[in-house]
Amino acid sequence: MSDDDFFIGWAKTPQIDRRFMMAAGLSVITGTTAVGIGVAARQRPVGPGTWNMGDVREWRGIATSEPYGMLRTLDLDGTERTALLGCQGKCGVSAKIGALAGKPVVVKGSLIQRGPHAMIAVIDGMDWIREDPTGNVTGLAFPEPEVLMDVTLNGEILDTKCWFGAMRPAQGKTHKSCASLCIRGGIPPAFFVRDRKDQTALMIMTSGGYGHNKDLLPYVADPVSITGKVQRLGDILLLDAPVSAITRL
Amino acid sequence: MSHDYKMVQWNPFKKRFVVWMVSGIALYLTSFVALTYATQPPGNSLTPIQAMIRATGTLAFLMLSFILCIGPVARFTHRFRPFLYNRRHIGVATFLVALVHGGLVLLWYHGFSDTNALVSLFISNPQYDSISGFPFEVLGFIALIIMFLMAATSHDFWNANLGPGVWKALHMGVYIAYGLLVAHIALGILQFEKRPIFFLILGAGAATVVALHLISSIASLRLSDRIGHEGWLRVAEVDEIEDSRAKIIRPVDGDAIAVFRDGDRIAAVSNICRHQGGPLGEGKVVDGCITCPWHGFQYRMEDGQSPPPFTEKIATYATRILDGVVYVNPKPNAPGTPQAPSDIGASS
Repeated sequence: MSDDDFFIGWAKTPQIDRRFMMAAGLSVITGTTAVGIGVAARQRPVGPGTWNMGDVREWRGIATSEPYGMLRTLDLDGTERTALLGCQGKCGVSAKIGALAGKPVVVKGSLIQRGPHAMIAVIDGMDWIREDPTGNVTGLAFPEPEVLMDVTLNGEILDTKCWFGAMRPAQGKTHKSCASLCIRGGIPPAFFVRDRKDQTALMIMTSGGYGHNKDLLPYVADPVSITGKVQRLGDILLLDAPVSAITRL
Repeated sequence: MSHDYKMVQWNPFKKRFVVWMVSGIALYLTSFVALTYATQPPGNSLTPIQAMIRATGTLAFLMLSFILCIGPVARFTHRFRPFLYNRRHIGVATFLVALVHGGLVLLWYHGFSDTNALVSLFISNPQYDSISGFPFEVLGFIALIIMFLMAATSHDFWNANLGPGVWKALHMGVYIAYGLLVAHIALGILQFEKRPIFFLILGAGAATVVALHLISSIASLRLSDRIGHEGWLRVAEVDEIEDSRAKIIRPVDGDAIAVFRDGDRIAAVSNICRHQGGPLGEGKVVDGCITCPWHGFQYRMEDGQSPPPFTEKIATYATRILDGVVYVNPKPNAPGTPQAPSDIGASS
């Protein structure tokens, strides 16, 4: 080593160190970025959910608070459809529907949508819902649930708001805490199943016709098996099962 | 050096280094988010915040892995010392990247609820008795706290006031933080993203860090004790010590000793720099002062004191030359004690 190539940070940087740092710096930055690109390009697809928060609209229909806050409406696509209701954050709104349950209402909020699944994230404050005495509600009343079959299915309990599009991804362990907060706050939980042919189904979870809440928390986002009854409620599917019918896989 | 304290003792080299580092960080984050969107159909990709959570998380892991490799690699090639000189800048930057990661996680996954976000962090996943189900966020949070303590105390003010022993022990916490980070990744995102590349990157990063430290430790053990003479340790023949350089001796008891030659003078001091514990014996005598290879701290050969206005002191050792062989007394003098160097000319 010559007298001039001993690196001292506060002294003039030797030429050989300047050259090395130029090459090493470029190599480290290039290599690290290449790893990042490799990781970014190989992430799992996370689903097509969307939430256009800025598009706040009025939605007309019949509201219910059981098993969860829901609106049966023609405003989604002109047919009789069910939109779940949630707040802007991680909370449900069923307790706030009160005496308006079963009546024609106007709900103000933005749409969260994933395929046929829809939720309206209502605006903050008290005027998110009002009665609509002149509303045309012909044929919009919620039907009685129709039992389709008894099943035992393997899948994952998740929260509907995130999975419909509030978050992407909205499944698995990294989302577990968020899903737990949502369900604890009253967002309707759902059971997501995928069969060997990669066909999927999503069922809103109930117990004896009522909504689940904190009782589900120990099982959220984990692989579980549930034995219960699949029911049809208009255009949505329900999975009715008590928490005792859930086993961890 | 430390006669006064500034937030950063900037010099042109540090400025250039930080510009490169910040540019590299910006390039990584931009590339990661762009590729995340470019490789998925519109509406099927991660939300912008979740993309940034992954970008900052992966970058923090890669940066911390690199930081932990700097020390061992610098023992094998002194060309790596400029990285070592700027290691604290990379460390603080890594903490800031990790802080953005943690802040976005708290906001996105634990916010927007009546439950306090920090409380949610600890209670939302109660499976503390499970390995695969363990609440991995807690591990990342503890690692972030450790990184904060290290970043906050990285300044020379804390080094001087805590003392080099306490400061060094505190900063060894980086290994705990790295272990927690590896567990955080393995029990978190790798439970969701299960393609081999993710396991490969985590495993390769951690294995490289461990392997380099093992190899470095084994290499330093080769500098074994020397056969002594009346309690003094044999260092080397005079001609074996390169001018302005040192031989490092490791007594059975006590710290390693750096025995320097500067022309006809031989002097021995502690091998441990008072600043951040750098290996003085791998340094050089510059302008009559022993100069640390890590950050350029200097000590006079004759008394182990930094030249005024600096105040650092290190232990000195007595040396003597018999029949062309250099010996050192392994009993240290108090830091800063004058100890006349041995004169090669006088012994011949």
